[in-house]
Amino acid sequence: MISRRAFLGGVLVVSVPLPAHAATGFTPNVFVRLDARGRITVTVPRPETGQGVRTTVALLVAEELAVGLDDVRLEQAYGDTARFGSQLVANSFSARQLTQPMRTAAATARCLLVAAAAQRWGVPSEECTARDGAVRHGHRVLRYGSLVRDAAALDPATVPVTLTPPERWRLLGRTRAGRVDAKAIVTGKARYGIDTRPAGALVAAVLRPQWIGALVDTLDDSAARAVPGVVAVTALDPATSGQGGVAVIARSIPEALRGREALRVTWRGGTPTADSRVWLAELETALPAVPAAPGPVAFEAVYRLPLLAHAPMEPMNATAHVTATGLTVWTPTQDPGGLRASLARQFELDPANVRVEPTLAGGAFGRRIEPDPVLEAIACSRVAGAPVSVLWTRDDDMRHDSYRPMSVHRLSAVVDAAGVPTWRAHGIATWPLNVLPFFNDPAIVKLNGDHFPYTVPGAVDVTLRPAPLRTGFWRAVYAGHFLYAEENFLSALGQRAGLDQVDLRRRLLPADSRLRRVLDAAAARAGHVRPGFTRGVACHHDYGSVIAVIADSSDGEVRRVTAAVDVGSALHPSGVRAQVEGGVMDAVSTVSGAQITVREGRVVQSSFRDYAWARIDRAPDIDVVIVPSDAPIGGLGELAYPPAAAAIAFASGQPVTGMPVGVDVG
Amino acid sequence: MKGAAVGRYRLHVNGERREVDVPSETPLLWALREQLGLLGPKYGCGVGACGACTSLVDGQAARPCITTVAESQGRRITTIEGLSEDGDHPVQRAWLELDVAQCGYCQPGQIMSTVALLAANPDPDDDAIDVALRDNVCRCGTYTRVRAAVRRAAQLKRGDR
Repeated sequence: MISRRAFLGGVLVVSVPLPAHAATGFTPNVFVRLDARGRITVTVPRPETGQGVRTTVALLVAEELAVGLDDVRLEQAYGDTARFGSQLVANSFSARQLTQPMRTAAATARCLLVAAAAQRWGVPSEECTARDGAVRHGHRVLRYGSLVRDAAALDPATVPVTLTPPERWRLLGRTRAGRVDAKAIVTGKARYGIDTRPAGALVAAVLRPQWIGALVDTLDDSAARAVPGVVAVTALDPATSGQGGVAVIARSIPEALRGREALRVTWRGGTPTADSRVWLAELETALPAVPAAPGPVAFEAVYRLPLLAHAPMEPMNATAHVTATGLTVWTPTQDPGGLRASLARQFELDPANVRVEPTLAGGAFGRRIEPDPVLEAIACSRVAGAPVSVLWTRDDDMRHDSYRPMSVHRLSAVVDAAGVPTWRAHGIATWPLNVLPFFNDPAIVKLNGDHFPYTVPGAVDVTLRPAPLRTGFWRAVYAGHFLYAEENFLSALGQRAGLDQVDLRRRLLPADSRLRRVLDAAAARAGHVRPGFTRGVACHHDYGSVIAVIADSSDGEVRRVTAAVDVGSALHPSGVRAQVEGGVMDAVSTVSGAQITVREGRVVQSSFRDYAWARIDRAPDIDVVIVPSDAPIGGLGELAYPPAAAAIAFASGQPVTGMPVGVDVG
Repeated sequence: MKGAAVGRYRLHVNGERREVDVPSETPLLWALREQLGLLGPKYGCGVGACGACTSLVDGQAARPCITTVAESQGRRITTIEGLSEDGDHPVQRAWLELDVAQCGYCQPGQIMSTVALLAANPDPDDDAIDVALRDNVCRCGTYTRVRAAVRRAAQLKRGDR
């Protein structure tokens, strides 16, 4: 299992191969390091965006090395896929892809330390145990630090590696610990992208296109250059440097913003009359035809979904330093390795001369897969001849996002005598994700979005129209569209037939299925519907995990949400609940009113005043049941949003014709 | 705005006297972050609509992104860094106990709003919590834990176990 092992300056380095990605052909590695004092350092291969990957990795290593969570020091991996494997935070991958390799890396270290101790004592390894940072045999104890040199000298081929079986886990699945960065966060010491300011760095603010696709026509920067503190002004080429516009480089953020205000720019091109209501109407006319049904169609419904922005709390930002030989970037990114590779390609640099340092990210939700702020910072650093930090204002962030696409859904069903569907059709008209050309394919969109959880045969047909603005990955991606329509439609069928929503779904799920178990667990926890309450129910399966969500509302407000999840192993229980709580709150926000609209070519919303994201007063009680399971570990970050949105919408008691509920879409 | 006179302003931050040389209309947030190196208050919107920069001015929750340096002279400013030496303020302890944070970016602001709330109302009910924290946006959706942590902080502050 060990591909490389080295003893460097008193340090035992263990690296193991990650599962090879056949598609990319990389041979990735992860690292666990012990020094002569026994200090354990773990390199976290993927960036922290709030999903908790640093905590999960620390737990995996601490478990297998038989030490406490506090005994593990974390380092964040810089961008280098050849060394660390895929570093992409997306598709709820992190726990699924890192669990086995991180456990193996740490277990390898433990087994080598045990073997070294056994050799020194002249006893069989099997008689030794590792606990609390030491190897023990009877009353004899050797700390890890004293074994590092011997362990590094062993031939790993002679040392079998055994993983700690789940029934002996002390931490994984059992810990009550919070996340490893919590102390830094509550003391204000956690450092995000916006907090990065290398020595000698300047800052930049960018005046962005006034309407979608607008290009700079004329630029008068004389007043901007006269603003104290402004160092340089440069137009950004949208072909190479993000989304275009004009950057003002200055000594401080207020000076850069004052300089930006003083710019006089006229714009040309683009779509100055674009209107999201028109886009929605165009999608509706593009709906695929309903296929021939095997019987009379009992019911048909159309659902319209809006544009959504990511709006992470930390606005887009990046710091870049271009030098004669290379490039260094500090940024909150979801993909440091991919970013490094794409920068090396674009700027024709040897990847060895491109350094990408991921920072903590103040939320990501899919937005930070894209490199646009980084490209701006690089262009600015080139002009300034110094490191430059580009900070987007909230207005920039909300008006120049890569939005979740609008979509229109038409659903029809044939039902049996009891009103239970026996056939279904789901036609979707939407846009591709134009930040990734791969998604400009109805089959890919269908593959991504079509996770209908129930045993009802039917037809799903996707039509794609060209996206009229930037579109990108938004938590759960197309599953959020598809399931919202499907579960609301099923709920409407159940309501028409007078069926209990849980019973209806039980009939459509195999008795021994994981989905049926989580539905039963959620129903048991939620109990009966209280008088004056309305209930919505939805199930979802994706990323190797399953979930059922039950929402209870009264007076138009969702009061209580009960979710039951089966993620295989819930490695960090508090983190598992947090991901579900987050998905539920995204659902509350988007169902109750948050949407992006476009008028006269421009996104209307510019801050949390008008992008109606839910505040604490809209937060329901959220009860998360973790259902024990022997299934392989599944993903979770994007699992809860789609069913939570569907359940909360139906629980509103209002007729659901789209999202948000009770609000004109577009 | 252009050519606004740069002045020297005396600020009383986290118990220390500090001086900054900036134009008078400079938002306090950028003076704290760029001049004084206090990076705990976060920029989230610049228009007082998200609460990520929330700090205390004379004990009240304030938004440094829409408070000028000139307005802040002579007032006692407390940022998250000034709350405790080592995270042992009752509100911080409650936040750790409930494992509130996800990405963590909004949490200094959530915590400072809670400190101001509990100073005014030692035993807030859910409605009072909702009112006091309504202008602190959390995009990760930690609100249910924030609410529980405010209640727990009130207990810790009273000395309850």
